[in-house]
Amino acid sequence: MSDELIQIETPFAFNEENQREFDELIERYPIKEAAMLPTLHLAQRQAGYITPAVMKYVAEQLDVTVMKVKDVVTFYPMFFEEPVGEYVIRVCHTLPCALRDCKVVLEHLKAKLDTDIASETNLAKGTTADGKFTLMKVECLASCDVAPVIMINDDLYKNLTPEKVDEILETLTG
Amino acid sequence: MVEEKRILYEHLDVPDINTFDVFRQYDGYKRFEKAIAEYQPDDIAKMVMDSGLKGRGGAGFSTGLKWSFVPRDIKPCYLCCNADESEPGTFSNRYVLEKNPHLLIEGILICCYAMGIETTYVYIRGEFTLGKKMLDAAIKEAYEKGYLGKDVCGTGLNIDIYTHPGAGAYICGEETGLIESLEGKRGQPRNKPPFPAVEGVFSKPTVVQNVETLCNLPFIVGNGVEWYTQMGPTYGDTRFDPPKPDPNTGTKLYCISGDVNEPGVYELELGLTCSELIEVAGGLRGEEVKAVIPGGSSAPILTHYELDTRLDFTSLTLAKSMLGSGGIIVMNETRNIVDCLLNIMKFYAHESCGQCTPCRWGTPWVRDIVQRIADGGGRPDTITRPKFGVTESGRWGDTGETEEIYEDLDLLESVANNIANVDTMTWNTICVFGIAVSWPAVSYMRKFRPEFEAAIREGKLVTLPVAEATVPPEENYAYQQRFIPKELESE
Ligand SMILES: Cc1cc2nc3c(=O)[nH]c(=O)nc-3n(C[C@H](O)[C@H](O)[C@H](O)COP(=O)(O)O)c2cc1C
Ligand code: SF4
Ligand code: FES
Repeated sequence: MSDELIQIETPFAFNEENQREFDELIERYPIKEAAMLPTLHLAQRQAGYITPAVMKYVAEQLDVTVMKVKDVVTFYPMFFEEPVGEYVIRVCHTLPCALRDCKVVLEHLKAKLDTDIASETNLAKGTTADGKFTLMKVECLASCDVAPVIMINDDLYKNLTPEKVDEILETLTG
Repeated sequence: MVEEKRILYEHLDVPDINTFDVFRQYDGYKRFEKAIAEYQPDDIAKMVMDSGLKGRGGAGFSTGLKWSFVPRDIKPCYLCCNADESEPGTFSNRYVLEKNPHLLIEGILICCYAMGIETTYVYIRGEFTLGKKMLDAAIKEAYEKGYLGKDVCGTGLNIDIYTHPGAGAYICGEETGLIESLEGKRGQPRNKPPFPAVEGVFSKPTVVQNVETLCNLPFIVGNGVEWYTQMGPTYGDTRFDPPKPDPNTGTKLYCISGDVNEPGVYELELGLTCSELIEVAGGLRGEEVKAVIPGGSSAPILTHYELDTRLDFTSLTLAKSMLGSGGIIVMNETRNIVDCLLNIMKFYAHESCGQCTPCRWGTPWVRDIVQRIADGGGRPDTITRPKFGVTESGRWGDTGETEEIYEDLDLLESVANNIANVDTMTWNTICVFGIAVSWPAVSYMRKFRPEFEAAIREGKLVTLPVAEATVPPEENYAYQQRFIPKELESE
């Protein structure tokens, strides 16, 4: 409870660099509201996840109600309303990856990180105790030719095996 | 053996083709220059119409025809490039964005010139961080070189391109969902009409076009319509007399994944058969083909009896499937079709945007039925219903007989058909996502019914040998109703 209160009270504002990017963004559209998705991406990159304060700030910037921002945030899977780990691991589990044993990769990651898989409403479930990793399942990442694939933050890793997963994790933790 | 015909992908692997200078060495922007120097905007639109180019994003709608619906007197008009690529099994747009982004920009420029468009938004799916970065860099270069911005190449045209990131929702690939999302809202598709060509983004006329479609434009302008129409078959639509030409021209970036030895993107002329494509992709990984999904996960499945179907828009439509986005997923004899359907239904249940009741409730319901069958809890009671099959007149229809069917299989079919009816091709939903759900559900169940029945009977997933798992051609609704189009004799 106290945590939540602090979150609401910690105000949010773009840092200088993001402010510049935002000013550029807003020029692109005939209506301000259209900059919603890129603005939320920027804000999430700065804040880590979309807090109520972020929503309030974005709403003010785009001249819309906070409810409208919330409406959008809840619709898109890439926006988080809870803290996530430093590295977000997205494991693709749609058919082409499933045909290439993505399950093995997923189980291996689960065991290795000693965590469950996050659900959209409970990200904490898939986050490691040290807050370093969040493990989640996602739908097709449009790389089925190099299946099974995972994405860690912005990077794609291809043709995975448990051994390769170990190597990748080592470079991240080492 | 069919040869690859690389046109869009010809220079894909040239080092640094993503930079302006190298792209320029390979005819880059020369086709756009040719367009503005030699043709009027209407000429370009006519060329695109004559080329027979069909949209590569999923619907396969004639691009020239779509352009002709756009009112010329309402300005501004917008171009939205659909780079949302989220259909499972599809991955060709990604490579264009990451490796050859200038080609897309050139295609956009030609489209803008033809349609008098000044602003283009490229809607890139949120996960394509590298693709967006490369395209942004290419756009920046094009601005610096004077190919974008004010007074492009001294012609007085003003053309701007902006990239717009999505945020992980599949439904934003549907054109009106994309438009809503671009306007900063939830990506919930709109009722049509009005079609985007008339009233799209910011209530203005909007052309929505897939990346691959736009990348075809430089080649149509550069090499001419005649060169382009020689590629791929042109069928005669025999509902007309004389048969009306139905072009399936050009190449397609076929994305092949699953059980083949060399999955990847292969650019080939439209119209090769399914088995030929599997050969091109290094052959099957396994002993026997069990099933092939020909056009992304939304397309009805093909059995091993249907592998001679040609992979083009017309042939697949007449075979009661679709080319869709060109994502081909191959499954070998070790795969269980119930399990595959479960995977796909989980995808759709997750991605429904939730606007229409049949889709919002029906899709998870279908998933739950398949899950129950896969878990071994399929209900073993049977019901009696009218049997469809080849009737006395030799056509597919109600045979007047009855058949016994497991209650859960009847339920599966009935729920799916109430989202969108596969037989009548009518849907009770706002967008055709409904069809994308019921098509796989019904086709997998009907074509591989023995495997579903075995799962219910045995109380667990049973993978039958291919011959036993597949219903024979005479009981296959699609096989019986399929029609193989004939190519028009060229004069
Ligand atoms: C559920 C659904 C998802 C779609 N996803 C995509 C997509 O990811 N990429 C795409 O280009 N078209 C997609 N489409 C097709 C678009 O609605 C539209 O037809 C296409 O972008 C038009 O461009 P084209 O004529 O160049 O193909 C989708 C359609 C539906 C119904
Ligand atoms: S059919 Fe499904 S995805 Fe399409 S608008 Fe309706 S609820 Fe949304
Ligand atoms: S299914 Fe995993 S990338 Fe397409």
